[in-house]
Amino acid sequence: MSRAIEVEGISKRYELGHQKAGSLSESLKSKFKRSSLKVQREFWALKEVSFQVNEGEAVGIIGRNGAGKSTLLKILSRITYPTSGNIKVFGRVSSLLEVGTGFHPELSGRENIYLNGTILGMRRSEVKAKFEEIVEFSGVSKFIDTPIKHYSSGMKVRLAFAVAAHLEPEILIIDEVLAVGDAEFQKKCLGKMEEVAGQGRTVLFVSHNMLQVQALCQKGILLDNGEISFEGTANAAVNYYLKGLGKTGDDIDVTTMARAGTKHHAMTIKSVSLQDGNADGTFNEGETVTLLIKFELLEPIENLIIGFSLSTSTNGDLVECRSTASFPNLSLNTGQFSVRVTSKLSLKAGSYMLNLGARSLKGHLEYIPSVTVLNIVPNQPTETAEWSNSSAGVLITSSHWKLLE
Amino acid sequence: MDKKHFTLISSSRPWWKIDLKELLDYRDLFLVLTYKDIRVRYAQTFLGLAWVIVQPVVTLIIFTLIFGKAIQVDTGGVPYPIFALAGMSAWNYFAFVMSQSGGSIIGAQDMVKKIYFPRLVLPLSKALVGLVDFVVALVLLAVLMVYYRQPMGDNFGYVFVFILLNLFCSLAVGIWLSALTIRFRDFQHVVPFMVQIGLYATPIAYPSSMIPDKWQLLYHLNPMAGIVEGMRWSLLGAGELNEYTFLSFIVTFVLFLTGVFYFHRTERIIADIV
Repeated sequence: MSRAIEVEGISKRYELGHQKAGSLSESLKSKFKRSSLKVQREFWALKEVSFQVNEGEAVGIIGRNGAGKSTLLKILSRITYPTSGNIKVFGRVSSLLEVGTGFHPELSGRENIYLNGTILGMRRSEVKAKFEEIVEFSGVSKFIDTPIKHYSSGMKVRLAFAVAAHLEPEILIIDEVLAVGDAEFQKKCLGKMEEVAGQGRTVLFVSHNMLQVQALCQKGILLDNGEISFEGTANAAVNYYLKGLGKTGDDIDVTTMARAGTKHHAMTIKSVSLQDGNADGTFNEGETVTLLIKFELLEPIENLIIGFSLSTSTNGDLVECRSTASFPNLSLNTGQFSVRVTSKLSLKAGSYMLNLGARSLKGHLEYIPSVTVLNIVPNQPTETAEWSNSSAGVLITSSHWKLLE
Repeated sequence: MDKKHFTLISSSRPWWKIDLKELLDYRDLFLVLTYKDIRVRYAQTFLGLAWVIVQPVVTLIIFTLIFGKAIQVDTGGVPYPIFALAGMSAWNYFAFVMSQSGGSIIGAQDMVKKIYFPRLVLPLSKALVGLVDFVVALVLLAVLMVYYRQPMGDNFGYVFVFILLNLFCSLAVGIWLSALTIRFRDFQHVVPFMVQIGLYATPIAYPSSMIPDKWQLLYHLNPMAGIVEGMRWSLLGAGELNEYTFLSFIVTFVLFLTGVFYFHRTERIIADIV
């Protein structure tokens, strides 16, 4: 198998408050004031990062915010350059840090397809050849000659993704662009992504969505503080990452975690802790799970609904619990609050992703996917335990059997 | 096995190594960006492309009234509107490209922060956009020359040399400014000044022979001085070229080369500082 990418000792330094575009007078001042020049704070976004990616591999890059994922992605996409180190790239690269780069509102859908396509590195002839396919995939063919300023935001995203999906690079670098559009469109995008990965292309995928990483990638690289802290299979990397986030009883700080699609800033979920579990942080099958969620309201909110869900990469969301079960009309003023929820989950032994969310009647307030992992272990091993645990499905149900005749 | 496209992303790159082949690979982007600018410029305007004609005509009328009728500048027998327009066509192109190229990187910062392409494509495409106005101005000039029965100059063939020089000069200043504006936003405010002052510090409304001898050297450090004179000399046979004119040409080439290398140096840190 041949190499697609060789990253050799990449470091990136940012000089805080210095490299920013300044004014002439600032620049002149710093030329004359030699003393203050050395006190600049520096910040290493990446420190001696090395790894290799083989041709045809799909690699997920994960890590908490500020771990250096975006910097690594920007260097691989040649948007910014490393302070030291080299990267050898074998093959044509397309990087999608955003869909619809360069879209102009005054231009029609048709013109924007050409514009965006050539920005992404396609030839005009390539765009022309795939034009019909792109339009069909986007589902906006009726409005293709309308300026896109009249499009809804959903239509724009569809059009943008349609162009991106028809790139045919040997190496594809993607940054969470999948987290766009409605559920149906996301599914379509994911399908397209799997298709791309399945065609033997090399894919580098940065995401906060652990489920997507597990679904799309074979390999996983975990970044922490600008360094690689784990490298292995995608599943192993995700588990390692989620384990590192917190143990039972500990407050898991979620303030810096990635939020998905929330526009309001009326509410911040601060932390969550799992309680009443075993000493090693696991829960027994059929046991009651307690969550303590702390949050802050910056505005008074009427009809507040707080919820959590558990999901797996193969099955999606399995259960969702909402505070409406106890408070149908919860209205709170500004301030700090905490809420405790207990739930008897009928889930079989396994690892489940915990997602937190909140909404009011006006819409979503918070959604934080993949906060931590909930590990459920089998009850006291009995003779039949091993056998019963290997049964299919994820739910525990009680059933009564009677032999007739 | 077929030979794979290879890219080396490195912390350092020699200052002289400008990848012209890559620039050529991105020619489609260059053309599409140009098309976008031309389309967007007059989208939703009532007069549309007619604005390309209205602007120079109005300036020309004002110049004719002030410098032609009131001050009665000595044009060496050439009708004043033709005299002024010959210079103005070149200057307007310069002013357009200088300000558009100068702001091209800042204006496209959303793009620059999200995707790689040779950044030089941005100021270069603005030079192509400006050609629309330039050609229209030259056609307008041809119409005026027919109307006033103005014979063509003996050195008419040289006009292409000066058009090319004008292109280089405009790009040179544009490329310099686009890179400088990234580092120092001050230049966003400098450009309108340069356009305003340059209009009078360049022999557009008047011949350069009106400038006292002792100031001629300084005056021609403005590269557009020589180019505007050259345009007039080749098109109308008005005025003459002297050693100062050639000084303007040298300044143009120095500006162009240094501009490209300065841009090349700044290019890699654009995403870090915009």
